[in-house]
Amino acid sequence: MTFLTTVALRRAAVLGLAAVTLAACNNKRVSRVDPSSVTDLSGRWNDVDSKLVANALIDQSVGGQWNGQYASAHGGTPPTVIVGSFRNRTLEHVPIGTFVKDLERAYVNSGRVRLVASRDERSEVRDERDDQQTNASAETRARIGKESGANYMLQGDVQAIEDAEGREKIVFYQIDAFLVDLESNQKVWIGQHKIKKYIDRRRIGW
Amino acid sequence: MTTPMKASVLLCAAVLLAACNGPRRVRERPIMTNGDRTPSQDRIIARAAAEGFSDNAMLTQSRDSVYAKAVATCRGTICASVVKGEISLGMTLAQAMAATRTAPAAWTVRESGAATVMVPRVLGNSPRDATGEVVMVQFDDERVNAVSYRETQGIRVVSSAADTTTDGRANAMADALIREGDQFNAAGDRARALDRYDRALAMKRADAMLEYKVATMLDLQLRPVEAQIRYQRFLQSLEIEQIRARGDANAQLADAIARAQQRLIILERQAPAPPAVPPREPTAVTPPPPDSLQRD
Repeated sequence: MTFLTTVALRRAAVLGLAAVTLAACNNKRVSRVDPSSVTDLSGRWNDVDSKLVANALIDQSVGGQWNGQYASAHGGTPPTVIVGSFRNRTLEHVPIGTFVKDLERAYVNSGRVRLVASRDERSEVRDERDDQQTNASAETRARIGKESGANYMLQGDVQAIEDAEGREKIVFYQIDAFLVDLESNQKVWIGQHKIKKYIDRRRIGW
Repeated sequence: MTTPMKASVLLCAAVLLAACNGPRRVRERPIMTNGDRTPSQDRIIARAAAEGFSDNAMLTQSRDSVYAKAVATCRGTICASVVKGEISLGMTLAQAMAATRTAPAAWTVRESGAATVMVPRVLGNSPRDATGEVVMVQFDDERVNAVSYRETQGIRVVSSAADTTTDGRANAMADALIREGDQFNAAGDRARALDRYDRALAMKRADAMLEYKVATMLDLQLRPVEAQIRYQRFLQSLEIEQIRARGDANAQLADAIARAQQRLIILERQAPAPPAVPPREPTAVTPPPPDSLQRD
């Protein structure tokens, strides 16, 4: 084996090693997974918690007695609900909108509850309606003063209790939702869901 | 230290260490782990929709049959009231239900001889007509002879044609406010009593006794100027000579007049007369100085 051949082989080996090292650096992998799959990484509030809360509240609310009682007292007309404030009283970032929107979808799609736009949503609609009074033709113009008044307001909150020792941690979430009669302030329905998580951060594990 | 002693000391140390209040491992079986699936919302919604559809279909059918019966038997103003959604005197049971857009499921009906009483089945979820929340409908010989509404000031009963008018309703509300004011007055809460009398006065302008009550409340609250005006308005609103001629029949009002006159004399002596409102004169509209515009 000549000296030149030895040098060429060495160079090839170094280049190959560099290529393998570079390929190993690119460790990002993205894949689509089933949205209903349970995937817990950090132990903080995640999509699974949101879905579990939504499922529980939908089941309790849509299947509750309150809407049946209202409908029977009003000749089959379903009650009208407006979404009010839903507060996050935890120290974590909990996106409330995900499960509240799930609940709204269930109300409308089940046909058992009517939903009106919330305070934030309706201001844009009112602006558009005002604009139509000037710019839209008479036959296509949305009329003023025909909004539906809500019978009940949906309110609620999320609270959390944490307990930690060493590498172990327990987080308990309690989600309360309730519907308040807008005239009498009576709470006609109260829904609740509780989640308890055990987080164990092992130093060695598989 | 002998060997048995050493052994006992070590044993004690071991027991103490074991008894140490260290962290406890949680040994609960997980109910959901990575890789599991959350249940589908669509299934829950579909089930609720199916149940709701059958319930609503039954209620709507029942309501429609009541409505058809009501409209088939109505005449003139009763028909108009059914369409407007207003219970009126002389309606039948079906017409009263049609006027509130309800089905029999919304009511509990009790009969006793010729009298029938219809009350909401679920309290706090009472049916409504165009006027308000209905709490009781009474029938005599199968015709409505009284309707009770739950209003802010209490229950209002409509049992005559006069009660059904706007004036009748305003009078009933004013009476309820006066009753409430009297209760506050008796309890010593004069500010609230005055508030109720004032509100009642907005609906019952021609009530001289109410004006007198307002004047008295103002007087008791040591507001002499306003009290003086109210006493004067009270006296002006009466035809004093006529009342005097009626004698004892209006003894209460005559007493109020005498008291008002006495108080007026005292108040006029204590304080100067309330300032007369100067006649309005046309004033020239002058534009604001340019400085004030620039400041904004």
